[in-house]
Parts: sequence; structure tokens; C-alpha cells
Amino acid sequence: MSAIPTIAEAAALIAARKLSPVELVTEQLARINMLDPALHAFLLVTQERAMADARASEARQMAGALRGRLDGIPIAHKDIYNTANIRTTAHSKLLEHNVPTQDAFTVRKWAEAGTVMLGKLATHEFAFGGPSFDLPWPPARNPWNTEHFTAGSSSGTGAAVAAGLILGGTGSDTGGSIRGPAALCGTAGIKPTYGLCSRAGILPLAYSLDHAGPLAWTAEDCAILLQAMAGYDPADPACAERPVADFGADLNKGAKGLRVGVVRHFFEDDHRVSDATLSGINAAVDFYRREGAEVRDITLSPMGEYHAPGYLIMITEAFTLHLPWLRGNFPEYAEMFRDRVATAALVSGNDITQAQRRRRLLVRELTDAMADFDVIVTAAAPGEAPRIDEVPKWTSMEKPSFTMPFNVTGFPAITIRTGFGAGGLPVAMQLVAKPFAEPTLFRAAHAYERAMEWHKQRPALG
Amino acid sequence: MSAPDEAEVTAALARHGVHLSPAQVRAILPGAAIVRRMIEQVNAPLPREAEPAVTFSAEPRK
Repeated sequence: MSAIPTIAEAAALIAARKLSPVELVTEQLARINMLDPALHAFLLVTQERAMADARASEARQMAGALRGRLDGIPIAHKDIYNTANIRTTAHSKLLEHNVPTQDAFTVRKWAEAGTVMLGKLATHEFAFGGPSFDLPWPPARNPWNTEHFTAGSSSGTGAAVAAGLILGGTGSDTGGSIRGPAALCGTAGIKPTYGLCSRAGILPLAYSLDHAGPLAWTAEDCAILLQAMAGYDPADPACAERPVADFGADLNKGAKGLRVGVVRHFFEDDHRVSDATLSGINAAVDFYRREGAEVRDITLSPMGEYHAPGYLIMITEAFTLHLPWLRGNFPEYAEMFRDRVATAALVSGNDITQAQRRRRLLVRELTDAMADFDVIVTAAAPGEAPRIDEVPKWTSMEKPSFTMPFNVTGFPAITIRTGFGAGGLPVAMQLVAKPFAEPTLFRAAHAYERAMEWHKQRPALG
Repeated sequence: MSAPDEAEVTAALARHGVHLSPAQVRAILPGAAIVRRMIEQVNAPLPREAEPAVTFSAEPRK
């Protein structure tokens, strides 16, 4: 096959024995060989493992024993996810030769679902500092224009999905590291509710803000991937011990009857977005209204009120985690990571206590504000991807982030494409739901994607 | 509060056992100024009824 299928499409073809997992992975590996030298999405391609996984999947296909919709689907993991006997570096010189002995919980779950693992993907160093040019591997580049940034830190996953090198992959999101690359690379990406997915076996950045989740070409594909990632794991003390919902249950219910809140001041006043991003969000809001959703504006605290405590908690938890290495190995980190994290030395115990108090107030605010809404709409990023060589070291701190409010509060949030900007690169919006209401989030996202069909446009590559 | 200077950042890092060269500390100063502004923001007075800071469960998870 020549066109890159979505996971849903590939799964249907595999189930009907119209697509061979071995042929699919062979095509994907050829595509990686052809395109990745310019994209740098992969840190490691595990070709032998991929072929072995694909052959096993094909045997199940022939035996009528497929394990589900992910059986035979080519995926890869962000290189902070531990993979047994396969190098896991966090894109850092400090872990250049690190080979874990066990899979992360979520890696194991995807393997048990029958996925075909193609390798390990670029990240910003330790899921925070980037783009960095002073590491053993270059940063990933945006498939829509390789002179441009992917955002991070799930940079390799965003690039690899957008370029069709994989059909889906893992990411992690502490302040926006799934939703940012999804926005700039034109994919879908979900940060689920805090506690829905285990972080055991994933190298942490900030314990109380880290979320694991997938990126894929569409919201529907994210739902399929998340279904095989979520679930209770006692090894992660933050993991919620509750039944996992059927994330596809409401997928085709459409937008009629949804109650949609628009946090307009986030993207019009607190951090003004580009014209293309604004018109994309407004068009999406019009879509929901046209489809019979009840749409109203909603007011929260200014975005900076969410950003400040979130950012201070993030750098302080990261500083605590990395302190033993910062003491002795400071120059071995890339400049981006070490300089950002080192600023946490200025943060006192009193400051963190105040940040945590504010966090609880913000959770209450968002809970109260969403009482009469099913989803809220806001921006995911300020605009199109900037040039990769024009990303200032302090850019993530200087202006409040659209994504951090939902790390601070733990609410689930998904990014989907809403069009293209003046430079021809994707623009996006963010949808947010109540805790553990991922089925509603996927319903709202899928209704929009199915109607607008932005996902039918792929970057012109090769 | 004013933006932290080189001496303050050097001392703050040294308290944590991180000893950097003057050039390394100067590279951090622009970010330190931003962090200082965030610190001021989270320390703005809260209403008396604001929720207590950090809670925990005394019962460990299984």
C-alpha cells in the first residue's frame, strides 16, 4: 500500500487479512531509512525486533487469533520509556549507554496488545531541555518543514507520526510535551487524566505533573492507543485504582448536545495567538454550534496564574531529581536543560508550599467552572512552529503556556489540528474534559476531525 | 524583589552543593529573573479561606 493508513484503517485491513503486518512494517522501515536522515525522529531503529514482532503478529492473523486493533500496528517509544535490553537514553549524554532490564508498564501493555516496535524516539533531554544541538544526537525536525521546530519534549514522536514513519507512539507531558508537538507537527495527542496511565518505568521529570499518553494521526487512533496504555499499576503511587472506560464508546455520537465552554481570554488576552490559530479555533467553535452543541464563553483565572505554580513545581521537582548529577556532571547536560533546571535553586520551601496551595485552588476553580460543561476549547500553541534555530532558551518560561493549566489540575486534554498558518505549517486547538471523561473528549475531537478532514493532508516528503 | 544577581545565584546553587563557574552562573541569570517573578506571583496574599497547602493520606496504597 502507498498511502499511510491510520491505526483504525490498518486494524480493519489486518483483521480482514487484506494487509500483512510483515509487509506493513517492511514499508515503514523503508520509509524510515529514506526520510529519517533528514528528520532525526529516531534515536534507535530496532529493525530485528520489529520484524520479529511483525512475524508473530502475522502468525496470529493467519491463525485467527489477533489480540485486538493494535495487533500488527507499527509504533515506537519516546526514549524515556524503559525498554528491556534496548538502550534508553533520555536523549542525554548521561544515559548514553543505559540499557534497562525491564519494560515500562505501558511498553509492556502495548507489546501485549500485539504492537510492532520500530525503535526509540528523540526527546528533549530528560523530557525538558530543547531543542539542543550540544548532545550526542541532533534534535528532531518538523516534517512539514525541516527548518522548523517540532516543539517538545515528545519531539521524535510528533515528527515520526507526522511523517508517517509510525502510526502511533508514546509521549509524556509535564507541561505540554505531548500536546505541543502534536500542535506543531499537525498530529493528535492526548494528555490523559493524571493517574490514568502508569508512569512506572518512564524516566521522570516532575512526579506530580508527569503524564504518559500517546500521539497519533487522529483522535480516534489516540483512543485506540490509550485503551491499551491505561490501567491501574501499583508500582505508580499516583495511578488511579478504577475501571478503565471504553474510550471509543462515544466516538460516533457527534457534537449535538455537547456543552462547550470557550476559554477565550487565554488566547485573545493572556497570550495572543496568531491569526491562523485564532481563526482555526473560531471555526471549530462555529462547527460545534452548527452541529447543535451549546457553546458559551467561560472565564478562568489568567493563564499566568496557572503557569507560575506549575512551572515552579516542575523545575523544583526536576532539580531535586537531578541534583546528584547536577553537582558532579553539570557540563554533561545540554545547556538548555541544565540552565533551566538550575534556576530552581532560587525556589524556597515557602515558595513551593504557596505554589501547592494555589494549585489546589486552581483545581477547585476548574472543577467549578466545568460543572456546566462537557468540554472546553482553547488554544494549544501560540501559532505555527518557529524555525528550529530561533527558539530562545527561556521561551517556555517567558510567556504563559496554554497546556500547563491542565498539568497543574490533572484534567485530560487533547490537541488536534485546525488548519494551516501563513507559513504552511499546522495550527491546532486544545479540548479539555473533566477528570476521567476521556470518552467525551474523544467524542468532541472525533466529531470535528471527521467533519473538517484536516487529517487527510500529510506533509510532502520524499 | 529585584532580579537575582550573580552572587545570589552562585550562593543559592552552592547551598545545594552545585558549584559553578562565573560564566555558567551568568548563563542562568535571565532565567533566574523570570523565576523570581513567578515566585513573587505565587507569594501574593491568598484569602484567609484559601485551602490548606498540602494534604496526604495516612493509609498507604496496597
